[in-house]
Amino acid sequence: MASQLKKTHLHEFHKQEARMTAFAGFDMPVWYKGIIPEHLAVRNSVGIFDITHMGRAIVTGAKSEAFLNYVTTNDVAALAPMSAHYSNMCNEQGGIKDDFVLSRLEQEKFFLVYNAANRKKDYEWLVQNAGSYGAKVEDVSDNIAMFAVQGPKAQETMQKIARADLSKVERFKCSWTKLAGEEGFVSRTGYTGEDGFEVFVWNTPVSNPTKALKVWNAILEAGKEYGIEPCGLGARDTLRLEAGLCLYGNDIDEETTPLEAGLSFVVKLKKDSFIGKDALVKQKAEGIKRKRVGLVMLERSIPRQGNEVFKDNQKIGAVTSGTFSPILEKGVAVAYVSVENAVEGNIVEIKIRDKMAKAQIAKFPLYDTTKYGYMRQK
Amino acid sequence: MRVNDIEIPEGLYYSKEHEWVKLEGKEAVVGITDYAQKQLHDIVYVEAPKIGTDLKQFQAMGTVESVKSTSEIFTPVTGKVAKVNGELAESPELLNQDPYGKGWIARITLKDFDNDVKKLLTAQQYADYVKNLEK
Repeated sequence: MASQLKKTHLHEFHKQEARMTAFAGFDMPVWYKGIIPEHLAVRNSVGIFDITHMGRAIVTGAKSEAFLNYVTTNDVAALAPMSAHYSNMCNEQGGIKDDFVLSRLEQEKFFLVYNAANRKKDYEWLVQNAGSYGAKVEDVSDNIAMFAVQGPKAQETMQKIARADLSKVERFKCSWTKLAGEEGFVSRTGYTGEDGFEVFVWNTPVSNPTKALKVWNAILEAGKEYGIEPCGLGARDTLRLEAGLCLYGNDIDEETTPLEAGLSFVVKLKKDSFIGKDALVKQKAEGIKRKRVGLVMLERSIPRQGNEVFKDNQKIGAVTSGTFSPILEKGVAVAYVSVENAVEGNIVEIKIRDKMAKAQIAKFPLYDTTKYGYMRQK
Repeated sequence: MRVNDIEIPEGLYYSKEHEWVKLEGKEAVVGITDYAQKQLHDIVYVEAPKIGTDLKQFQAMGTVESVKSTSEIFTPVTGKVAKVNGELAESPELLNQDPYGKGWIARITLKDFDNDVKKLLTAQQYADYVKNLEK
């Protein structure tokens, strides 16, 4: 069974140091030291994640901008070279095919990073729609190692091994740079709510992991003085949930629209036609019926995916992700609730193992943004 | 004894659901094994049974919540709950730190241990069982 799972360059390291799990066809680390210490390392200092399992594609061609503007919801024309933005791809009904980060490498060259579970689906969807624009879509997933270095000490850690001046790489900007002497690319992006970088080691297939290992080890060494922790998928999930970032397959899917998910900031309805536009224009005019919200438990209990949410004994929605927040030290959740109930401060009940437990609707991020996250007071 | 990094003290009895039983006169102290706490990891809440509850062997008696999952605890013996570990409410991490000591969950007044023990494992049997799971 395990032998059928794909491995990343760091598989031997993970196997030695972490508890492993199958995720999106890969054998991946869930935790090394523990979800809570890893989570706290990222919020308080710095952590490193191997996220090579994610999908990556390069789109090129004279009409690549027009193509991406058609297939994605955000405004690609507004994206300057060496800039990145978060975006969605929708189906014709406005349901989310995937969420991803798009970087513009050059005027006619783009780089997409999308969910591991959607590697095949996204690539096929892109190829299927690229034809009439003459754009070329290349799946480069297997040739690039990808790490996330996240936390308030991420820049100081990365600067020790990067040739480029990282203080000049602002949030959602990118840069080519040598990393521990190897060809690399960094974007100031992440999935934790913290400042940090996503780090790409180019031209290093899993069959020849030397460069990837070198960069990974150099980052661990550089971060040692800050107490860097390797972090697994467990902490990745608790961090993103506290920050209010969506997990595809849980919080968003093809049955959910960006408007319901609170992602309308990446849907530019003023753009010329794009896939899903008509459905989204219609939904906006009619008004959404349910909305994604954050929930913080008022009782000692942890909500989990599928738990139903009630108000005055009436079912108003369901939990799509739930966990324990190491920062709040409380159960927290992402849920969809009827729009009239989606009001910050509203107290609702979640049915957890046949017991009703009180929770309060809260805005994302769930933590105090003056103390944690990329906007924290320095 | 040990299986990989999992501690399995001798002299205790074990269930296949990874609870342990320590006999102390007419009572049994019960908890979850080192294997169970390592599987769950990051335990954040423990819901212990209520004192006075009558339990049948392998009936659910509480829950353990880790960051990632919720698991039921099944009583390995039949009897009445005499005492529960009150410290777990404030310090659930005791289950991770000391599963066979400070992380005990409940004391149960035994009813028919001669019968219970037929369905429990010795340390050696449990070690073999865990060895198989670890493969």
